[in-house]
Amino acid sequence: METSFALTGKGYVIVAADTTSARSIVKMKNDEDKIKTVSPHLLMSYSGEPGDTVQFAEYIERNLRLYQIRNLYPLRPSAAASWIRRSLAESLRSRSPYSVNLLVGGYDTSTHEPKLYWIDYLGTVSEVPFAAHGYGSYFVLSLLDRYHDPEAPLEEGLATLKRCIQEVSKRLIVSPEKYKVKVVDKDGVREVEL
Amino acid sequence: MSIMDHNGGSVIAMVGKDCVAIASDLRLGNQALGISSNFQRVFGITDRIYLGLPGLATDVNTLRERFRFRVNMYTIKEEREIEPEAFAHLVSSTLYEHRFGPYFIEPVIAGLSKTPTGGIRPFIAATDLIGCINFAKDFVVSGTASSKLFGVAEGLWEPDLEPEDLFETISQTLLNAVDRDAFSGWGAVVHVITKDKVITRKLKARMD
Amino acid sequence: MAQPSVYRSPGFDFSNQIRNNFLSEKGLPLPNATSTGTTIVGCLFKDGIVLGADTRATEGDIVADKNCEKIHYITESIRCCGAGTAADTEFTTALISSNMELHTLSSGRKPRVVTAMTMLKQMLFRYQGHIGAALVLGGVDATGPQLFTIHPHGSTDKLPYVTMGSGSLAAMAVFESGWRANMERQDALDLVFNAISAGIFNDLGSGSNVDACIITADNTEMLRNINLQVDRSNVRPPKEREYKFRRGTTAWTKEDVRKLIVEEDITTLSSTTGAGDEMDTS
Repeated sequence: METSFALTGKGYVIVAADTTSARSIVKMKNDEDKIKTVSPHLLMSYSGEPGDTVQFAEYIERNLRLYQIRNLYPLRPSAAASWIRRSLAESLRSRSPYSVNLLVGGYDTSTHEPKLYWIDYLGTVSEVPFAAHGYGSYFVLSLLDRYHDPEAPLEEGLATLKRCIQEVSKRLIVSPEKYKVKVVDKDGVREVEL
Repeated sequence: MSIMDHNGGSVIAMVGKDCVAIASDLRLGNQALGISSNFQRVFGITDRIYLGLPGLATDVNTLRERFRFRVNMYTIKEEREIEPEAFAHLVSSTLYEHRFGPYFIEPVIAGLSKTPTGGIRPFIAATDLIGCINFAKDFVVSGTASSKLFGVAEGLWEPDLEPEDLFETISQTLLNAVDRDAFSGWGAVVHVITKDKVITRKLKARMD
Repeated sequence: MAQPSVYRSPGFDFSNQIRNNFLSEKGLPLPNATSTGTTIVGCLFKDGIVLGADTRATEGDIVADKNCEKIHYITESIRCCGAGTAADTEFTTALISSNMELHTLSSGRKPRVVTAMTMLKQMLFRYQGHIGAALVLGGVDATGPQLFTIHPHGSTDKLPYVTMGSGSLAAMAVFESGWRANMERQDALDLVFNAISAGIFNDLGSGSNVDACIITADNTEMLRNINLQVDRSNVRPPKEREYKFRRGTTAWTKEDVRKLIVEEDITTLSSTTGAGDEMDTS
């Protein structure tokens, strides 16, 4: 089952998503990257209806890129989240709405703060210290309630993330085997191996 | 379960002596799963008008944007700040415009209006999801805990409360009502609007 | 919805409909709006019309407003009672009132009740009952006193005494036994009062107070909460004890005080002091 989560820490946001691509009950692929780097300091994990997800993520990616080309600077995380939300809310009012749930994590280079936004397919947005989508969220959110520290250094953040992954593997019936983990901080975006 | 209960959340407003208060919980849920304990659903419209938007969270965001736009347009055209009465009608007609295909929000408005003699008069109102205004003289409630809020407020509210007493009354009303509602709670915020200041306090609340 | 223009076209906006259908297909029932499960009445008397209404607005099984106004202004000598979906009665009567004013201005004559009735029925028929307004329209014009009922689908009746809303049966029972042609003003008002009271006490959707409106050829009198002059036994007595909390009862974690501007001093800069520049008007 699709699961993604993200957490903030001291000057960074970690975003993790499973790598399985499924059709019905069949696993088609297990190295799918479901976290897009949508601008130099912004990550977006996506899950939901297959097809919609990639289509929507690419639409967002290209439009944020276009903004940067036109204005010579990228949108800040809060502005990007707001625009992404609006795109979803508008899509929901069309004949073929996108069914996509997102986690948008970024580093605001102006205020030097990590930012994380929880967005669902209805166009709900909320700034949160940690977030999750999918069945994993039922386990992970309570775990993060206990262990999350907004001031933790990256190593501690990654350790907390490992706890989350372990918990999901242990308790979810059909749990994902592999995760892709990306970090965004003042130096930009990078992938980390757990 | 109705769409109105999907994200949970409640708002209440009360009239006091030359002051008004508006309070809301801070929960954002996805059905029974709690997502955020810091979701803003009460917004400052002008210095003396606050608007609470309980209901479907996506519409909280959409209507917040929409009202900001319409109030800004009003301010530019009229070259003055909007009064609470006019704002209540702006809210009402915006919602009634969507009579067939509504926003799932039941707004609460609280503010101080200016009297012709230069004084101030407390103003509260609530509307249903298609914009039928309820002008109340005592208190208005809305959201998933509205039935509980009605009961508690009916028992605790009394006329002519001073700002600090109104703060206690509205806080206790909200806290005790949302404790009996599974979809509201997870923190609370209170705004008390008086002649010369707005006091905003985050309450210590049960987090279950 | 990025608004391409500041100006929006008038009328209803259906942009949320696709989304809302999508949501209700997911098994989430759509909520219902405030309705005035109401008792509204009107009757003819010697010199005019008496309209009456209760003052309860309900939202499901909750009383949303204990003292709302259901007798709406159309013109100075025409009023309209509304039952059904509260927002619909409020907005349709406001719209027709506005159009009646424009009609009066352009025709230069005193407005007639049939005009308002026709405007209302044509609008309600156009919306095929989706605008849930059930109305009692009454007034006095050049043709004398007129009384109509208008149903949500646009059908109308012209009768000497009428009732509408969920309490209409109780109220009609009173009218059927008590109404006579050419009644005196006070007798008609008493009859309306009794009819509304029958609705208030026998129909759960109606309650609280009695509002009435007496329209004659040269005067319109709006009477609010007339029951309170007769009988206050239904009024909630003042609380004998107070439930004030001791200050400091509620624990809070964060406070933010925003000071507001209460008074502004405006200092004018005049050229005599040499401080400001006068506008060049040459």
